[in-house]
Amino acid sequence: MEFLCLGLNHRTAPVEIRERFAVAAGKLGEASRELAELDGVSEGLVLSTCNRTEFYLAAPDSDAAFDSLETMLTQHVGAEHEAKAHFYKVGKMEAARHLCRVVSGLDSMVLGETEIFGQVKDAYAAAHAAGVTGPILNRLFQRAFSVGKKVRTDTSIQVGATSIAGAAVELAEKIFGKLAGCRVIVIGAGEMSRQTAQALVSRGASSVFVTNRSFERAEELAAEMGGRAVRFDEWQAVLAGVDVVISSTSAPHPVVLPHHVEAVRRVRKYRPLFFIDIAVPRDIDPAVGEIEEVYLYDIDTLEQLAEEARARRQQQILECEQIINAELAKARLPGTEHE
Amino acid sequence: MDRWFLIVSTVLALIGGGWGMWSVSRGTRSRWTVVWMVAVFICQLGFLSIRGDLRGACPLRDTGEILVFLAWSLTLFYLLVGPAYRISLLGVFTAPVVVIFQASALLFGLLSANPERVLETSGWGEAHAATSVLAYGALALAAVAGVMFLVLDRQLKEHHLKSGLFRTLPPVRELLVSMERLLRLGMVLLTAGIIAGFFMPRGESLAHLIAALVVWSAYVVLLVLKSTRGLTGRRLSLLTVLLFVISLAVFAFI
Repeated sequence: MEFLCLGLNHRTAPVEIRERFAVAAGKLGEASRELAELDGVSEGLVLSTCNRTEFYLAAPDSDAAFDSLETMLTQHVGAEHEAKAHFYKVGKMEAARHLCRVVSGLDSMVLGETEIFGQVKDAYAAAHAAGVTGPILNRLFQRAFSVGKKVRTDTSIQVGATSIAGAAVELAEKIFGKLAGCRVIVIGAGEMSRQTAQALVSRGASSVFVTNRSFERAEELAAEMGGRAVRFDEWQAVLAGVDVVISSTSAPHPVVLPHHVEAVRRVRKYRPLFFIDIAVPRDIDPAVGEIEEVYLYDIDTLEQLAEEARARRQQQILECEQIINAELAKARLPGTEHE
Repeated sequence: MDRWFLIVSTVLALIGGGWGMWSVSRGTRSRWTVVWMVAVFICQLGFLSIRGDLRGACPLRDTGEILVFLAWSLTLFYLLVGPAYRISLLGVFTAPVVVIFQASALLFGLLSANPERVLETSGWGEAHAATSVLAYGALALAAVAGVMFLVLDRQLKEHHLKSGLFRTLPPVRELLVSMERLLRLGMVLLTAGIIAGFFMPRGESLAHLIAALVVWSAYVVLLVLKSTRGLTGRRLSLLTVLLFVISLAVFAFI
């Protein structure tokens, strides 16, 4: 019996091909059952995320199993020759290594991202519930999960945010700890400020105020984030009650000046205040950062932090691969012998 | 035997602090700090209980004993506060202070080799000494949290975010909250100590009592300022560290 994998991902196929093979989360069990019912396939599991669709199977004859699978894909999605060219096929130890790389986030678009671990777990749970995993897939996936955990624990592959929004959230957590109860004001309803505010909200920030020269746009973004729109000439009144200020207007001159902050320091009882300036030209006068309780970060600093984290993760790949190889060699998993 | 307990305790604090700093320099949190500090605490208890037996009273009769009691109290508050708030790094900062206090007691002849048995004890006197030193333990730990805040604040302000120390330091808000709680706890204990001091039999000199009242008033002013007007984290930390150092220096000479 052999462990096999056929799939496509963000590196081998553009989005218009990937979307044709995507399987909705609620249908993963059904798709896995269909896979396991193919001729010459004894166990099956389908993994589908926005960046990949992969078919994992256990079969006595790899050629026959891949043929059956490709025939099924042609029938279901009309995978003509052009689409098939985007697939990769791996078997035995190479397939096990690929699975471990996927679970560890080494094969992800954002290197080391953690979401994939949960997505593979969900796909496995769906296939297991459908009763189509057996001795080979069960052992391989359980092993891959433990290898994935070891990789994340023993290396820095997931350390540091790799995006500007992520870097801003990490800094906010360094200042405020848990973000639950943190209040945020967004000055300028651009895309970057929306992403950053949403990242903060996803980590627990409770109140979001949005202000913009166009009040309608502020209302739209506030509604999207469950926040409150504030008129542009009223944002200074809100400053006294917030912990984080995200600014990204297209103003040619600074919008937030030291006297705006000085005016609310007493009312705020000098609590820490985190300014994120993602506008070019900058919205926040650098002198604001000289006020004692203010921590001011501009887009260059945040981008530099993200870039450093990306570089650090790249440096970790070799170490991660070594852990995967060592763990697989130790495990002697069924379906991976005689590479 | 008492000295051996103290020596082992000091060595353990030294190793625990060193181990913690090594972990921090690699950017990882030292999971063993609490364990080391528990071992330090047990040895301190061993020392204090033997000295208490020898004295037949609370072992606060010479400067060495006071320093060790202070180190014990500092360790006790770290063990109460640190793990509860998941501030493991507080132990790494606490250990060197414990080493300094205990090494000073051992090396500078501050610890009487043959402690005399106390023939006459006063309940108020014992309560005054014990609660006051406990208070200083809490205030010392507040000062340690203050130093940690100052380090983190500087790194955040100057965007020096690469060091292992930065990654392992607890968040700004957690440090400020812990500092304020420790100051309040220290104040409650110090107040109890001063009240007990009024009832204990006193000699002719009032210098000690006046010094205690001045220190107590300074901490009251600090806490009132913080809760009414508000203080920046930097000022609160600087004042907490400064007040602790000054009060320790004052009592060293009185």
